[in-house]
Amino acid sequence: MLKIDDIHVYYGAIHAIKGVSFEVHEGEIVALIGANGAGKSTILKTVSGLMHPRTGHISFMGKDITHTDAYQLVRHGLAHVPEGRRIFLQMSVQENLDMGGFTQKSVQKEELDRIFQLFPRLKERRYQVAGTLSGGEQQMLAMSRALMSHPKLMMLDEPSMGLAPILVDQIFDIIKELHAAGTTILLVEQNASKALQIADRAYVLETGNITLSGTGAELARSDDVKKAYLGG
Amino acid sequence: MQLIQYLINGISIGSVYAIIALGYTMVYGIAKMLNFAHGDIIMVGAYVSFCITSYLGLPAVASIVVAMAVCMLLGIFIEGLAYRPLRGTPSLTVLITAIGVSYFLQNAAQLIWGTAPKNFTSVVTMEPLHLFDGQLVITGEVILTVIVSAAVMIGLTLFTSKCKMGKAMRAVSEDRDAAQLMGINVNLTISTTFAIGSALAAVAGVLLCSTVPTLQPTTGSMPGIRAFTAAVIGGIGSIPGAMLGGIVLGVIETFSKKYISTDFSDAIVFAVLILILLVKPAGLLGKQTQEKV
Repeated sequence: MLKIDDIHVYYGAIHAIKGVSFEVHEGEIVALIGANGAGKSTILKTVSGLMHPRTGHISFMGKDITHTDAYQLVRHGLAHVPEGRRIFLQMSVQENLDMGGFTQKSVQKEELDRIFQLFPRLKERRYQVAGTLSGGEQQMLAMSRALMSHPKLMMLDEPSMGLAPILVDQIFDIIKELHAAGTTILLVEQNASKALQIADRAYVLETGNITLSGTGAELARSDDVKKAYLGG
Repeated sequence: MQLIQYLINGISIGSVYAIIALGYTMVYGIAKMLNFAHGDIIMVGAYVSFCITSYLGLPAVASIVVAMAVCMLLGIFIEGLAYRPLRGTPSLTVLITAIGVSYFLQNAAQLIWGTAPKNFTSVVTMEPLHLFDGQLVITGEVILTVIVSAAVMIGLTLFTSKCKMGKAMRAVSEDRDAAQLMGINVNLTISTTFAIGSALAAVAGVLLCSTVPTLQPTTGSMPGIRAFTAAVIGGIGSIPGAMLGGIVLGVIETFSKKYISTDFSDAIVFAVLILILLVKPAGLLGKQTQEKV
């Protein structure tokens, strides 16, 4: 479904991604784990078209999207929930969801019902300004907003960041639910143990290179991963 | 009665500033840049309208429509050619470019229309209203200006709160990258903003020259700066703020011209700007960002 082939990405002179290749197959949950600054978010930004690789290729659903701009990719079924949520804080919850459905022609009544069933809290706060939501609610809104575009592949960047443990569990439950409903997931996480628990496959990223890969369970048992990311 | 007369005149000129300020504020809010050439678009709009009525003899309404269309295209063209390539560069670069565009437009106007002032014929044919035995005179220009500016403000408010494109503008204004991830074409949104702002500038130009009939290549620059001040007083980025700021500024300007000194009116206006910013740094209706982390 998503194929990344030897991409090199730069921030000015800084060589941030040094030849990364990996694949996400339809129906999988794939996790990218790694320390701060390893390049996880950069990879997601490059896939979603906010950045472009200097060399290498990216294809999605059989189409080359290496140089496609972000706003066009949404129409192809790619959604990116960025790090730090990036919801529109001055707009209401409903308006944020409207923006999520920007590419859809008609009003998404059914999708809204589904989202409000998944996140009843958002329904309660539907007309509230999004900036007044709690961190967990903001994450739920960011995910819901992405769902409004009917994504085939959803990329989540640090969905558990800054959330209380109980909320982290809730967010991961929802990811599993979305996956069960047919959405393919590419997950970037610092919370490696959580990510490996739900991932079919995972890749470990270190300073711009993929150093390990395997199934979620394999990596969770790996000594290197245990030492570096799972606290022994 | 005289006081009320000045107040009405102040509101009228303030309404013109408000329409210009709306253009400034929209472009600032969405493209995050100060388009200092905005005032000169006003001048171009007025010249186009002048040519259509004086040389082609067409009715005033047609001249306004053509002026709006020409300015709209000019706005899109300037944005695409001068500002878009600079996206992502420091804001100072864009600011200097905007000042360059402003001089370019003034000099181009000099080449096309000459430096000699043209006598602009008002687009309003309505007879002035004489109230209280002629003690209070309300001209057709005043009535038209106030109605148009109120309509523009209401229209823009509805557009940004109800229309898909208007909401997309607010999204781009808040977070450009996140807006792209929603499928919003940021370049198209910014072009649309320039188109709307420039069309409004054409309307402002025609209204301004209907009230103050001297038209020359520098006609737009001072009202442009005053309108920018109005946008800052009201809270830049805010639509009702631009309206309020424009009217406050117009009234202060008229009163200080009549009661204090014509020469010092601009100084007084800018002193008021400083005072307001000292008390309310975000302007009268400036956005208070609600944020919870």
